[in-house]
Amino acid sequence: MTAERFRAWVSRILIAGVAISAGLIATGFIGALLVGWTGSLVGAAQGTSDPTDFSSVVSGLGALRPIAIAQAGLLALIATPVARVGISLVAFVLERDRLYAVITAAVLGLLLLSLLVVR
Amino acid sequence: MISLVAGLIGALAGVGGGLFVIPALTLAFGVDIHLAIGASIVGVIATSSGSAAAYVRDRMTDLHIGMFLELATTAGAISGALLTSLIAPAFLFVLLGLVLLGSAALQLVRLTDQPAGPVTPSPLARRLRLFGSYPDRNQGRTVAYAARRIPLGFGLMGCAGLVSGLLGIGSGALKVVAMDTAMGLPIKVSSATSNFMIGVTAAASAGIYLSRGDVDPRIAAPVALGVLGGAVLGARILPHLSNRAVRRIFVPVLVLVGLQTLARGFGLV
Repeated sequence: MTAERFRAWVSRILIAGVAISAGLIATGFIGALLVGWTGSLVGAAQGTSDPTDFSSVVSGLGALRPIAIAQAGLLALIATPVARVGISLVAFVLERDRLYAVITAAVLGLLLLSLLVVR
Repeated sequence: MISLVAGLIGALAGVGGGLFVIPALTLAFGVDIHLAIGASIVGVIATSSGSAAAYVRDRMTDLHIGMFLELATTAGAISGALLTSLIAPAFLFVLLGLVLLGSAALQLVRLTDQPAGPVTPSPLARRLRLFGSYPDRNQGRTVAYAARRIPLGFGLMGCAGLVSGLLGIGSGALKVVAMDTAMGLPIKVSSATSNFMIGVTAAASAGIYLSRGDVDPRIAAPVALGVLGGAVLGARILPHLSNRAVRRIFVPVLVLVGLQTLARGFGLV
């Protein structure tokens, strides 16, 4: 892959990530205006879980809860820069830029570490 | 209700700058400072990813310099995000106040583009490949550059990351100073690369805030939407304003908010 194509890819990842997360967050926000943050767009029972608890995002998405849709959007937003670093790592490896492959792997390692740190 | 207000605050931040999110949420609407920090970091990521996409295509961003310095900023951000829950909110307000006043001062010191002479990379810059060139449309030629004082720049970036992790801000101004003033890089390359790095730095602390329960979607979601909308609006308005006009609006607001934040930190309000 040439440097030029690599830059185009980085750009696309960023745009796609922002668009997807903005769409999800906006859907969640509008949904919250309609049925409340802890409500459900399909009329499921009121959620009782803490809105800052992201572990219920999958079950909440199933019930179309605005809070879970917004949470998924926020997760996508946070994941975008991480994906960007991941793409950069692949590109440096393809370009046989060993030094920067190592540096990028270290940055990615730090990012994954921060996401896995327990409270 | 607070969600709609948070959206408006985000929009203003998208136009003017993310530094106002935390003072607005905490001082005016009594939101807990840690929830304000969690909402602010999400806005920072939205701004950075949105505008970085355009810069990368413009070929101003130096991916080597950015990635190398991200080692320092992410390590700093993780330390800051881990420390922030242990620190008294009063100290966070004082620190934020100082950052606001510092940013106001930086707006007054005009960062000038140094005349680009012949640039020979130092041995360290050559080994780390921290040099390059970019096409300057205004000058109509390709401008070469090489990073100087690399350890100093790396250290300053670690501090920028720490402040970013402590307060949930992008600390873009500090990053630009580290690259422009300390490392002698052209201002256009510094600001594009800094913008590119802010998102990665913020993602590092966002993960920690999130697992700690500091990211409340009821506040963070509208802030993120507001910031994105405001950034689009700002990109249309700002080119029509002269730098002097922007400074005249921006600096007094920064000083005022900075003083209020300091006062809160010292328990005066």
